[in-house]
Amino acid sequence: MFRHTMLFLGYELGNVRRNPVWPLFGLMQPILYLLLFAPLLTGLPIGGKPSGGTLANALLVFTPGVMMMVALFGSLFTGFSMINETRNGVLERLAVSPAWRPAIILGRVLKDMIVLILQAILVMGVAVLMGLRLSLPAVLLMLLLMAATGLFASSLSYGLALSIRDEGGMSQVVQLFTLPLMLLAGMMLPISLGPDWMQTAARFNPLYYSVEAGRALFADNFSDGSIPLAFGLFLVLAVLSLGWAVRSMKRIAG
Amino acid sequence: MIIEAHGLRKTFTAKRGRGRTEEVEAVRGIDLAVDEGEVFACLGPNGAGKTTTVRMLATFTAPTSGTARVAGHDVVNEAGKVREKIGYVSQAGGVDDNAPGRESLLLAARITGLSRKQALVRADELLETFSLTEIANRPAKTLSGGQKRRFALAIGLVNRPPLIFLDEPTTGLDPQNRANLWDEVRALRDQGTSVLLTTHYLDEADALCDRLVIIDHGLIVAEGTPGELKKEVAGDVVTLRIDDQAAAQELLSAQPYIKETQAEGDALRAYLDDGEHNLPALLRALEAGGLAIRSISLDRATLDDVFLRHTGRSLRDAA
Repeated sequence: MFRHTMLFLGYELGNVRRNPVWPLFGLMQPILYLLLFAPLLTGLPIGGKPSGGTLANALLVFTPGVMMMVALFGSLFTGFSMINETRNGVLERLAVSPAWRPAIILGRVLKDMIVLILQAILVMGVAVLMGLRLSLPAVLLMLLLMAATGLFASSLSYGLALSIRDEGGMSQVVQLFTLPLMLLAGMMLPISLGPDWMQTAARFNPLYYSVEAGRALFADNFSDGSIPLAFGLFLVLAVLSLGWAVRSMKRIAG
Repeated sequence: MIIEAHGLRKTFTAKRGRGRTEEVEAVRGIDLAVDEGEVFACLGPNGAGKTTTVRMLATFTAPTSGTARVAGHDVVNEAGKVREKIGYVSQAGGVDDNAPGRESLLLAARITGLSRKQALVRADELLETFSLTEIANRPAKTLSGGQKRRFALAIGLVNRPPLIFLDEPTTGLDPQNRANLWDEVRALRDQGTSVLLTTHYLDEADALCDRLVIIDHGLIVAEGTPGELKKEVAGDVVTLRIDDQAAAQELLSAQPYIKETQAEGDALRAYLDDGEHNLPALLRALEAGGLAIRSISLDRATLDDVFLRHTGRSLRDAA
């Protein structure tokens, strides 16, 4: 079982290595946000300073939001590749091979996590070049949090792909959910800037906690309650969505 | 027996919009017995239930009822053991477009339990056999239909299965690639591999298989060797286009040398043995009856005539 998972992981990583353009393309958006949006925030009362903060201060608040955006968006779209495989016979062939069926999903999800961690390192690298200062524990915990968020989002994406099996339908569903989730998580600007009703609504959005936890980590507030909450929440969500994707894989036959 | 199936049925519940559903009986009770080393064909029009039958035998989808044993194991309860002993090449092929064909082949080899070194050896062997070595490292999406089909076949054979399923193996191939694939199937038989293939090409079933079943609307309508099945009809067939078809059919049915007549659209088909010698007599009879012939042809009977006899329509029109 483990062996099959590693075989699929190796195969998928091979595909990424041969064609690394797309994951790099996926980084353009967050890096542009860092370069062209974060500087706009230097005058805002965020990051604990009343106003007139520095760029480094703005990055401390803004970078975790952009990173969660990568974790969510990048991962939610990975399932698209699988829709084609429900038609071109690849999944059909694997389903009647001795392959352990969950490995087909697990290998891909692990690949997505590895790609995501590499992307996260690059985004943090750019932020550091722009003047952000981070402690090592903050970096490591942030990568773990990204991995948990990505595990949830990419499993969900494969589950959706295997259930919807239609590119048009899937892109509608993904679009429908991501924008409100992103806005209500305070990815761009902290929700604390908004009115009470938005702050209340955000509490029902799991992503809100991962963004808040990311900001707490970057600020070295390791005792902040949002950190264990975000890890716990996303581990549970990841297990649920992974279970769903694996079950959908087992039911691949029409 | 490499395949033994009894009363296989498959019913799908299809969604028909607005919450309505419809039961589709894709396969309605099929018995099969395929011997080791045989090339066995399921011939039938599109939608006859051939693919569903193969998918049940290959453990992709479970039958609604009925049982099947493939390579000595039950396809439902011992699916894992069946999967170790079969190769399966679906109609879609199943070659990953994004990776070089060699990578797909290596992954398939390692999934069957080979070590990295063994997998490399086996992959090279298969690439050699199917003349794929030179294009092995090209992304599969840049390959032609025939090349991809050869990769699909190579992947299906990676575990040296005693039985391989080929679902519509030559659909969409040009005549040259089709002939090559036929040679490859014959080579498999020569090595002792059993082959179950589905096809809607009459000539393919005729040229390639030892035995076949003709499937229509989810049921087997005829079974035997191509020779036996054709003999059941007659050696030759005269196809006539004639103004008064009903009168001609009546007249021909009464001739001692005519075994059977079938009306098919505006054509009348008369089955007879030794057509070359009996054709003049047939012409004289029609003339004596005052029936004007618009066209006439004499051909060897084919599996299409067997299909026509059992279903009342030609396989060419049945799709």
